[in-house]
Amino acid sequence: MFRLIGRHFKEAFQGIFRHFAMALSSANAVTITLVLVSLLTLIVGNVSQITKNLEESIQIYVKIDKEIDEAQIPALQRKVEAIDGVGSVEYSNKDQELDRFIAGKGEGGKIFEIYREDNPLSPAFLVEIKSGYTLSGVSENLSKIQGIKEVEYGGATADDFLRVLTTIRTSGYVIILALTLLAIFLINNTINITIHNRNEEIAIMRQVGASNSYIRQPFVIEGVFIGLMGAVVPALLTIFGYKYVYESLNGQLISGMLTLLPTNPFAYYVAAFLAVIGMVVGLIGSLMSVNKQLRWRR
Amino acid sequence: MVHLQNVYKTYKNGVNALNDVTIDIKDGEFVYVIGETGSGKSTFIKVLDGEEIPTRGTVEVNGVNVGKLRFSKVPLYRRTLGVVFQDYRLLKKKTVFENIAFALEVINKPRKEIRQRVREVLEIIDLTDKAKSFPDELSGGQQQRVTIGRAIANNPKLLIADEPTGNLDPERSNEILELLEKINASGTTVIMVTHDINLVNKYKKRTIKLETGHVVSDSKEGGYVANV
Ligand SMILES: Nc1ncnc2c1ncn2[C@@H]1O[C@H](COP(=O)(O)OP(=O)(O)OP(=O)(O)O)[C@@H](O)[C@H]1O
Ligand SMILES: [Mg+2]
Repeated sequence: MFRLIGRHFKEAFQGIFRHFAMALSSANAVTITLVLVSLLTLIVGNVSQITKNLEESIQIYVKIDKEIDEAQIPALQRKVEAIDGVGSVEYSNKDQELDRFIAGKGEGGKIFEIYREDNPLSPAFLVEIKSGYTLSGVSENLSKIQGIKEVEYGGATADDFLRVLTTIRTSGYVIILALTLLAIFLINNTINITIHNRNEEIAIMRQVGASNSYIRQPFVIEGVFIGLMGAVVPALLTIFGYKYVYESLNGQLISGMLTLLPTNPFAYYVAAFLAVIGMVVGLIGSLMSVNKQLRWRR
Repeated sequence: MVHLQNVYKTYKNGVNALNDVTIDIKDGEFVYVIGETGSGKSTFIKVLDGEEIPTRGTVEVNGVNVGKLRFSKVPLYRRTLGVVFQDYRLLKKKTVFENIAFALEVINKPRKEIRQRVREVLEIIDLTDKAKSFPDELSGGQQQRVTIGRAIANNPKLLIADEPTGNLDPERSNEILELLEKINASGTTVIMVTHDINLVNKYKKRTIKLETGHVVSDSKEGGYVANV
């Protein structure tokens, strides 16, 4: 068994050695695609995080009709909670609303204390939505409830911003997939050439009764190895590049509004992800090649 | 050892390369297969080594029904055969020793066993002194002896040679034939396809003649004089 594995590795490395320039250039091509994959993964990862943070922090402000008295509040709250996409619901009575209002005005807010006696504000619910639901959609449904006067949220801007983030994330996934396919194609191509170069040897192996798997394995090992080689530089770039960017931005984007994912463990995960992608890409690329070129039928 | 029963082979392009061929070859025989170009000699060999499946009829070699063999079982079957071609098919970057060892390496023989067997084979093909030479440094006859050595490395029960002397002058051809006789004498059944009537007449053996895929004569006594 060890003898077998040893021979396969020997063959594979001889293969790589023999057309080193070729293996190197295809590893380089894989490197370039994986650098792009890394970049996109870093962006997508942060965008996902930012989206999540935003969705968690944005509240829908649901004003309640003044006619509703305290006794009816629990029933109304249940109706609000029943709406699809509604996460936590917090009730805030007139007094609390005034507190919030005054706090929001800062130093000068104290003068509004005169309204404490005859409070013109309505009580409200503060609603957080679950991720995957749009602010506008949930708001729309909330506003239909009897006893709700008005529904407010960050407005169209917040929704648009979230939509942009979602688009970035989706296109990121699509491009990553496309790049992965490209890398598979590159490795597939290299292995095709390797197999072609070794046609003679393969014919002899067939003739003397080498098993099919014996004939295939060196090429598969070579493919995986090229993929892994191609992942080394992108993985290092990911770790050190991200660390550099993270530190020079102080981990924040747009003056602290949006926080970035910390280097540890995020960048390390992405680097490991690249190594796995490299090997998987090498495996698929070479298997495809081997199945096509070395398929042997009578 | 080899038994063909009413074998037909029609290629995809409609050529009938073998027509109703029935041949029986016993253990330890040495048989020539002759015939004009295109008469189906190589096709005969291909149905024997499992490269082609007969369209009809059965091909049995050493108890194996070759036509019915699952494709994944062909490699194991081939380890019981040795095959030699007109073109030598040696690996240019490997020495004589390595070329012969290659046939054993790829079927996972232990290294020690390989070394020992290759030395034996070099002895048989009388190229011990050329073990470290590369194919390019050998004459055609010597190269063909190496391919024969490679073919017998795994001690096959049956050795099949498709025009092994096709590219050689008469003297080298004689050497090859004598080598095949030596291998045959040690118990290996030999089937040799040839064009060379002189050879057939000099080293008289059972001779099967094919014409457009039919067996037109099978001289059990050996030698081939008629219709030359
Ligand atoms: N793979 C193939 N596909 C289609 N036709 C083939 C194939 N191989 C051989 N043939 C045809 O089958 C016939 C027999 O060919 P085969 O190679 O067996 O002849 P042969 O006796 O070995 O000839 P030669 O002496 O030239 O080697 C020929 O007409 C040939 O053209
Ligand atoms: Mg032929």
